[in-house]
Amino acid sequence: MRLYNFLCKKVGDLTVKYSNLPESYIKRSYEQVYWKNPKGYPQYPAAQVARKKFRFTTNRPWTMQFARQNERTKLNKKVFLEPVGEWSVFKGDRVEILVGKDKGKQGIVSQVIQERNWVVVEGLNTHLRVVGKDKDFPGITIQSEAPLLVTTGVKLVDPETLKPTEVEWRYTEEGDKVRVSLSSSRIIPLPKAAEETFDYKSKELYVENPAKDTVAADATKITFEPKLCTFEMDIMESMGIKEDRVPAKSYWY
Amino acid sequence: MNFTLFRSVLRNVTSVTYRSNKVFSLCGLPQVPRTIHTTCKQYDLMEFFDEKKNWNESNIRVGRSWKLDELRIKSNGDLHKLWYVLLKERNMLYTMEHECNENVKLFPNPERIDKVQESMDNIETVIRERNIAYYKLETGETGERSVDEVVNLLGLNEKYQKQEYYLPKFMNTRWVRSYFEHGYINSLAVKKFYRLYKEKLYNIERKARNRDFSHVQHLLKRFPDMDMEKLKAEYPNVDIEKAKRSKKARGHYMPKY
Repeated sequence: MRLYNFLCKKVGDLTVKYSNLPESYIKRSYEQVYWKNPKGYPQYPAAQVARKKFRFTTNRPWTMQFARQNERTKLNKKVFLEPVGEWSVFKGDRVEILVGKDKGKQGIVSQVIQERNWVVVEGLNTHLRVVGKDKDFPGITIQSEAPLLVTTGVKLVDPETLKPTEVEWRYTEEGDKVRVSLSSSRIIPLPKAAEETFDYKSKELYVENPAKDTVAADATKITFEPKLCTFEMDIMESMGIKEDRVPAKSYWY
Repeated sequence: MNFTLFRSVLRNVTSVTYRSNKVFSLCGLPQVPRTIHTTCKQYDLMEFFDEKKNWNESNIRVGRSWKLDELRIKSNGDLHKLWYVLLKERNMLYTMEHECNENVKLFPNPERIDKVQESMDNIETVIRERNIAYYKLETGETGERSVDEVVNLLGLNEKYQKQEYYLPKFMNTRWVRSYFEHGYINSLAVKKFYRLYKEKLYNIERKARNRDFSHVQHLLKRFPDMDMEKLKAEYPNVDIEKAKRSKKARGHYMPKY
């Protein structure tokens, strides 16, 4: 249980959703286990020597860059995160910047990094970076966006007044959970870009790979019919297997 | 890579055919050719490998794994077939991963293994649900292997899965009875172990408590305008008023509380 706690709770659920990867894969791609006691021996406790502290940045946990940033010898200072409660800023949201050189400007959130309480706003809060600099090449200067803290750096924009506002999660009468702006009590709908993943922009736009995927029509077809038998009995019946042998008396203890 | 792939397959083919001949001769099974062939086209051992056009791909796009709700609407026969489709796919993925490692290549999309495994786990869950429903209706019991809460040799609580024996308990001299019957619980050694074990558990808890308290102090120092309700919700066991009063929680600004 403790092993689970220190490995699994670190990657935010928005990150898992964005990656469109199984959680077990994300876990095994970023964890660093140096020693694990063999399983199935009562004399060994379930102990392992593994890296516990990871530095999360804009590099996503399943990438090579993340692994390079968290090499075995690298130790980083602890990062303190202000508790944010329920997450309310998503990809595609219009936000106003409260700090820095673009203070007061509004922009669209292009990336959410939940592990650090960060959001990246498209084209704002930028600095210049020189990439590809070499001995005989001066390099190319590009603009890159710096992340902003969701707690103090940005605020969601009210769709009615177009002014920054606090938001709250509430339920509608139909039972849907929605974000409500506190300044004008208007619902701020979730943007379409929030369901974007690494693989597709939206679920409808996903193109099936006919060689590997089950087509949606087959996957949603209902073939279940209730029967008074176990799975094994049903399969044996359909395959014409008859079992007449009576098992010997046995005892469970 | 292709050449090595093929060579290793050929090697496997020869060994397997040899063995299969032997098996047939030993058992004396009649080799009757089946008239109706319902399975898909067979490529012998090449079915352990991916299609040839995928061998040099760097990205093989696949969907997500099967969810529980999608499997619940499928008949038993469909689940049975799907299980073998997934099993073959998993074997293929493991083979390709091994072959890629042999040839020092990157295995494309290794998350496919996890997706297949997750689907197979979900199938098992759905089948178990159906069987439990049947047994509960017919016998009133789940039909699952029963688990007992017992006190083990070291005086610790343990879950014991019952096993099947052909002898009843009182006749079975090789079954160590004292193991679960508090035989050693009163001995000095067990008592000492238990005391030290409790101390260890207590220390783990104490350290976690202190760590949380210190973390909250640091948070108060860094973020004085923080929402205290959210802090309380995240660290319910920390006395925040006490942390506010401490010197460690004071930053380089006029104290706010």
